[in-house]
Parts: sequence; C-alpha cells; structure tokens
Amino acid sequence: MLVAEGLMVFYENMLALNNISIRCGENQIVGIFGANSAGKSTLMYTLSGIILDQMKKEKMRGGEQITVMGKISLQGRDISLTKPHLRARMGVILCPERRRLFPESSVLENLKIGAYLATKKEAQETLDYVLEIFSPLKKLLRRSAGFLSGGEQQMAAIGRALMAQPKLLLLDEPLLGLSPAYQQVVMDSIKLIRETKKISIIVTEQYARPVIPVVDYAYIMENGSGVMSGSGPELLDNPDVKAAYFGV
Amino acid sequence: MEILLYGLVNSFKLILIAFGFTLVYGISRLPNFAHGAIFVFTGFVAWIMMHKLNLPYYPAALLSLASAALVGVLIYQFILKRIRGMNMNEIIATYAIGVALIETFRWLGFRGTTFTLPVFFEGVAFIGDVPIDYQRLMVIGVGVVMLAAVWIFTKFTRTGLALRGIAQDERAAMMLGIDSDLTATLAMALGSAMSGLAALVIFPLGSIVVEAGYNTLIFALAVCMVGGIGSWGGTVLAAFVLGFLQVITVTYLATHFQMVVTLAAIIATLILRPSGLFGKHKELEERV
Repeated sequence: MLVAEGLMVFYENMLALNNISIRCGENQIVGIFGANSAGKSTLMYTLSGIILDQMKKEKMRGGEQITVMGKISLQGRDISLTKPHLRARMGVILCPERRRLFPESSVLENLKIGAYLATKKEAQETLDYVLEIFSPLKKLLRRSAGFLSGGEQQMAAIGRALMAQPKLLLLDEPLLGLSPAYQQVVMDSIKLIRETKKISIIVTEQYARPVIPVVDYAYIMENGSGVMSGSGPELLDNPDVKAAYFGV
Repeated sequence: MEILLYGLVNSFKLILIAFGFTLVYGISRLPNFAHGAIFVFTGFVAWIMMHKLNLPYYPAALLSLASAALVGVLIYQFILKRIRGMNMNEIIATYAIGVALIETFRWLGFRGTTFTLPVFFEGVAFIGDVPIDYQRLMVIGVGVVMLAAVWIFTKFTRTGLALRGIAQDERAAMMLGIDSDLTATLAMALGSAMSGLAALVIFPLGSIVVEAGYNTLIFALAVCMVGGIGSWGGTVLAAFVLGFLQVITVTYLATHFQMVVTLAAIIATLILRPSGLFGKHKELEERV
C-alpha cells in the first residue's frame, strides 16, 4: 500500500526525521510510537504532503527553510512531490494531531465538509456508518464542534476523515488527552474500521500500551530516527521497549 | 420614518459593497484592496457595453458581472498566488492594481457625470408618506437575495461547504482534499462579482464616477473593521450601524460629514475593540 524510504526532513539545520523507512500493507494497521518531539507528527505531515505546503509558505515568508528528502510511494506510484489535496484524492487522509475540527461548524457540517471528495451516495452511506460506530455523535450533530469534549471531538474527527473515503487513514495521536474509557472506544473503532472498510491505517501514539494489541506492525521512533520495529508481541517482549514505552 | 427607510437602504448599500470584501478575506485571508476599483470597473464596462456596443441592458449587466469575476480570477492567478501569505505585499499589490484600474479609466476620459446606468424600474413608491424610488428598494431586495444566496450556497452545496472549511482551517481542509488555490480563485471571483453587483445596483442612483472606487474601498474597509474582519455576521451588523449612522449624520449635520463619521468609526473600533464587534481568534479550544 504505502512504502516510504529514507525520509529526511530538516527544519533549517535541525534534523526532524532521520532516514525513516516505513511500510504499510493492504488492510494493515501500523503503529508508530515515540515520545514528544520524536518526529511522529512530522512523519505524518510528510506522508500526507502537508509538509510541502508548510515548505512553500515558509519559503514565501522567508522563514524557516524546510528540506524534505526521500521517496514515498502509494500503491506503486511515486507521490513524493504530490500536493496534499491530490494525495487526499488518491486516498491518503490525515486525521491530524489535536483533531483540528472546524470549530464554528456543527458536527454534521464538519462531516459534510469531510465528504468533499465523496459522491452523494458514498457520503450518505459513510454518514450512516460513522453514526453507527460512533453512536454518541447522533445526539451532537447540531452542536458546534468547538464545544465538544475531547473524546467527542476525536470521534467527530475520525468520522470526518472517514467521510473523505480514505484508502490509507493516518491517525496522529488519536488518544491524546482522552480518558481511558474513550481511549477504548477509539481503539475499538479503529479495529472495526479496518475490518469493515478494508482500509490501511497508520496510527501514532506516545504510549504504546493501549494501541499495541491492535497493530500488525509497529515502529519506534526516537529523536527523529527509527530505533526499532517489529510486530506487536515482538516489541512487547523486548525489555528496553517495555521499560521505555509501557511504563513497566 | 424617513431616517428608518433611508437608513435601511444605506445599510444594504454598505452590505452590498462590503460583503464581497469580507467574503474573500474570510475564506482565503486575502485582503482585496482592488475591491473598489472592480466596483467602478463593472460600472464602466456595463456602460461601454450598452452605449458603445449597443447591447441591451441584461446581457450587458451579465457580461459586466462576468468580467468583474474574471478580473478577480486574474488578480489571484497572476499576482496574489505568488505572494500569498505576506499580508503587507498583498495589500500593496492589490491596492496598486486598483489604483491603476481606476486611473486608467480617468485617463481614458471617463470623467464627469455623463456616465449613468439605467434603473431596473422607473418610478417612485410611497411608504407611509415617505417617497422612495423603486431603485432604492431594489438595493434592499438585491441585498437580501445576495445574503440568502450566500447562505444557501455555503450551507448546502459541496463547493460552498469546502469554502467554509478552508475559511476555518486551511490545512485541515487540505487534508480532506480541498484545494486552497482553487477555493481562493473561486472566492476572488465571487467577491469581485459581488462588488460588480453592488455597482450595477448602486450606480443607477447617481452617475458613475472614478472617485467612487476610492470611497467604496474605504466604506468596505470601515464596515469590515467595525464588524470584525472576515466575520460575515459582523459585517452585516456593522453595515447597519454605519448605514444608520451615516444617514443620521446627513440628516442632522451635513453630507460631507459622512466620511468623517465612517473614519471615526474605524478609529473608535480600533481603540475600544480592536478585533471588531465579532472578530475573534478562531482557535479551537483545546479540551484535554
């Protein structure tokens, strides 16, 4: 599905991603774990192409110079230089860190804006689907998104991303700031989405514990570099990983 | 009663003038200082089509609106696209284009009061005992229709929703496949066409003069700043505040104080509430 090789990102001369290579197969869930500032979000922005927009804007403003190197291919096609909205059109949809819902729009409107790339039929079907897996949203459809709780916002944000008909869903820290109960809801929904929608999912998180049971394969990042990778059980058995990412 | 009626007309005049400006800024954060020039441009284009090319009124009006939209698109595609994100440069560039456009018409000899556009309907109505010509009522009608159209467009169509998305969070909209350049082009086209529409409705009340380009820009800016720049609700509210304020000034003081009051309103807003009546930072409150 997605193969990224030798990704390097510099902010000026600060190395944010150092030779990262990841792959995500069809219908797989891949986890990316790392502490704050390990480069998880930069990686997600690079995969979704948002970094290209940041690069362009910074260049125009004469601000930070951002350099991106490496190759990303999606289903065999090189998309390293493809603009973010075109990548979205190809099925790469990012659900960003801190959710970034449209705060003045209602939940329903957020979902409708998300359906920009969907046909009418797809939009209706996906809307029903989203309300089925996130049933608490049903009561909140008219509420403006800025006034939801963190968990509700996360459900709306994943729902909005689903409306865009992803083939590869990128979830950047979907558990950030959620209660354990909501964390469970979100993780269950990720599993369910993979099974029913047959899509690939890449999910980043600081704490591996709630995510690791769901993933097929995982990478661990530290200071912009990939330090380790393996399937869930492999990582669980590694003593270093245990100490650093599971708090055991 | 007279103040109420004419205040209403004047308010809708301001809405027509300012809404295009606020729409473009709200959607794409582009300050289009050529807004007033496009206003004058549309008026003259309509006049040229009618009197030089002998077109009937409706085709001329439609063509002039289309050319206004085209000017907006060209300004974006050739200039703004390259300097986007640098606000000062955007202002200088669009203002320069505006001045060039207005002064070109002056240079071509479009001066004086001989250039007029026809009214939609001749005649005068009486509301109570206040006489008001149909064209002034048209201003209200067109204003209401335009606001309703914008509301329906941005609530119920895919493109309109995309505009609302990009207005609130450009990057988040991009992640959903919405093209920022496309929406900005569209916003410029819409905003410019709205300025053109305002011209077609307002110019028949007087004559087309080049100076209107500068005044229109100042009025549009005043309304947007008082209302909170980029806020649609604020724009409408501010248009009413300023609209009535102007009419009251004209009635009790003198016509030439109109501009003074408008500028004073800008200053007062900047001192008392710098972000305008409805201006606020559009940050999603973080709930953790």
